[in-house]
Amino acid sequence: MRKLPVYLLLDTSGSMSGEPIEAVKNGVQVMISSLRQNPQAIETAYISVITFDSVAKQVVPLTDLASFQMVDIKASGTTALGAALNTVSQCIDTEVTKTTMDQRGDWKPLVFIMTDGIPTDSWQTGLTEFKKRKVAFTVACAAGHGADTGVLKQITENVVSLDTAGSQSIAKFFTWVTASIGVTSTKVEDSGKEVVGLNELPPPPAELNIVV
Amino acid sequence: MSSAKAYLKTLLSANNITVPDNRSGFFDTFCDSEHNQNIIEQILQNQKKLMENWQIRNRVQDIQDQNLSIPNGMVGKPYQFVIDRQQLRWSDVAIVDIAGLNEIGLQFDSSTNTISGMPVSSGDHKFIISYKLTQEGGVEAQYEKIASLIVNPDARSLWKNIPSDTHDTYWKEDDITSFGALGDKKIVVASKRGRSHANKGSFRDDGFRWLQHASGWGQVVLADGAGSAEYSRKGSEEACKAAVAYFKNKIDPAAFAEFDGLLAEQHQAADALTLRKINLWVYEKLGAAAFHIFKHLEQCAADMQVPLTQLHTTLIFTLFKKYGFGYAILSFGVGDCPIALIGKDESVTLMNWLDVGEYGGGTRFITMPEVFKSDKFATRFNFKLVDDFKYLVMMTDGIYDPKFEVEANLEKPERWKQFFNDLDGGNPDGTRVVFDAANDNIANELSQWMDFWSPGNHDDRTLAIIY
Repeated sequence: MRKLPVYLLLDTSGSMSGEPIEAVKNGVQVMISSLRQNPQAIETAYISVITFDSVAKQVVPLTDLASFQMVDIKASGTTALGAALNTVSQCIDTEVTKTTMDQRGDWKPLVFIMTDGIPTDSWQTGLTEFKKRKVAFTVACAAGHGADTGVLKQITENVVSLDTAGSQSIAKFFTWVTASIGVTSTKVEDSGKEVVGLNELPPPPAELNIVV
Repeated sequence: MSSAKAYLKTLLSANNITVPDNRSGFFDTFCDSEHNQNIIEQILQNQKKLMENWQIRNRVQDIQDQNLSIPNGMVGKPYQFVIDRQQLRWSDVAIVDIAGLNEIGLQFDSSTNTISGMPVSSGDHKFIISYKLTQEGGVEAQYEKIASLIVNPDARSLWKNIPSDTHDTYWKEDDITSFGALGDKKIVVASKRGRSHANKGSFRDDGFRWLQHASGWGQVVLADGAGSAEYSRKGSEEACKAAVAYFKNKIDPAAFAEFDGLLAEQHQAADALTLRKINLWVYEKLGAAAFHIFKHLEQCAADMQVPLTQLHTTLIFTLFKKYGFGYAILSFGVGDCPIALIGKDESVTLMNWLDVGEYGGGTRFITMPEVFKSDKFATRFNFKLVDDFKYLVMMTDGIYDPKFEVEANLEKPERWKQFFNDLDGGNPDGTRVVFDAANDNIANELSQWMDFWSPGNHDDRTLAIIY
């Protein structure tokens, strides 16, 4: 069967400590239990969590919704966004099955990035790697005013921003991510077509500003 | 030095008092007094107790902070998990009981540290592990750790089966079967609405028709309406209807007589010229039929006042006739529905190629004018003359995707062997379709078999088998 891979790249740098990191953890939990009620999502969606602070680390490998267990994440260190892009590129290479003559591959992955700061590493190198991978779409979320939407715009055209990195606005972001994964899994199952852009996703809530 | 003296010395020194040599006798006497001995003894015992308490509490806190990962369960699926004390470094932990498991259909066996049973309710369940620490000996103190177990709903139970609206202008049956004689062969067909449609109460987009024509030709038509086209259920229905009607009413009876003549000629003395004439006949007559179907759909769209794209549908049809020297089989196809001819020797001949794109969704529809203008149009027809055949199989992608996965597999005889073995009961549900001319229940059998579960494959399913 064809997986719908979903990669969550979460900023766990020091500035995320306290309320924001708790909100992120909670957001992922709520997202998973909500998606588990969606018959299409539970059969197709596979979720992976990659955190980045001073280094990037895949803390949850690509896992089906039924077996998924969220791990504890803590905030400290700097913002190695480039390393995260490198890590996700490698994960896509090893975890996403390509279509061949004899085998039907997975759906193209969805990538969600959430950060509250400015990358502290040479992120362009990671971006070069990431751009070589085929994804259905990438959404980057700038949480609060500390994030640089200009950098995110170079990673993907789909950039949204939150006015604050508070628990409520982070929760709203994850609710929207949940709906987006739900819609995509339904679409690939029903029509066999990939979702390719932000305009095919459910409209973001008012708390989410689309950066143009 | 006794422990009492050592303690007193440390105490005095902590208070910046040193005992001069000339007072050492005094120090000994002070220490040896029964009264002071008792006090020191008491202090030492309390210290020891305090240390033990600290260690126990510290251990309990460690256990509290430790992440206990328990694999997720599923409603209705047997569950078993052994709490591995060694792996958790819990050699000093004796689990007395786990509260909160019974409510969700699970039990805990403390002799084997096993949680087992059949989960009955989904959700993120919390339960309380009561345990003792062996280093406390016989003390009755128990501690508690809260753990959680995620139980997933059975994915199958999440699919709703909402009937489609029978009052809709273009309504069609959610499930339909058909069975009968086609020449000296039998035909069985089942067409079922996919779970993705049933889940939201929408319509079956697949369609089929078959007919024994007076000319001696048997015809079978399958069509798969596009999921993205609003009235594709009507499109597939009309395409099938028009295909059958064309060979019933529109085609000049003399055309079939001409074909019979060409075939007899070819049988008597096969030569390239006659074969070319046959292929030209197939191209012209079936091509005219295909174009007629296109024009019919165009008219339908005009009558319905909707764009033709709203009727998008794929289409495959076959015509076969028995002659004294064998069976002639003709085919045409647009889209991703395969037609396969399985010989008596189980050889596999694919009658058509599939319109499939690199990333899915690249199919073509009979409702697309460009299909008729393309230089590949001539390759959409096929003609075979065979002594006999075991099966002629036609299916929509709702069957092809889960059972064959990719186009390349359609050419592999072992995949077809697997497919017929599956039909013969070689499947998890044990549903079986018996291809026997005397079996009148075959349509029901096929319909039941077509309820097979395949994660991620919930499209409409239509399968026609001539045997």
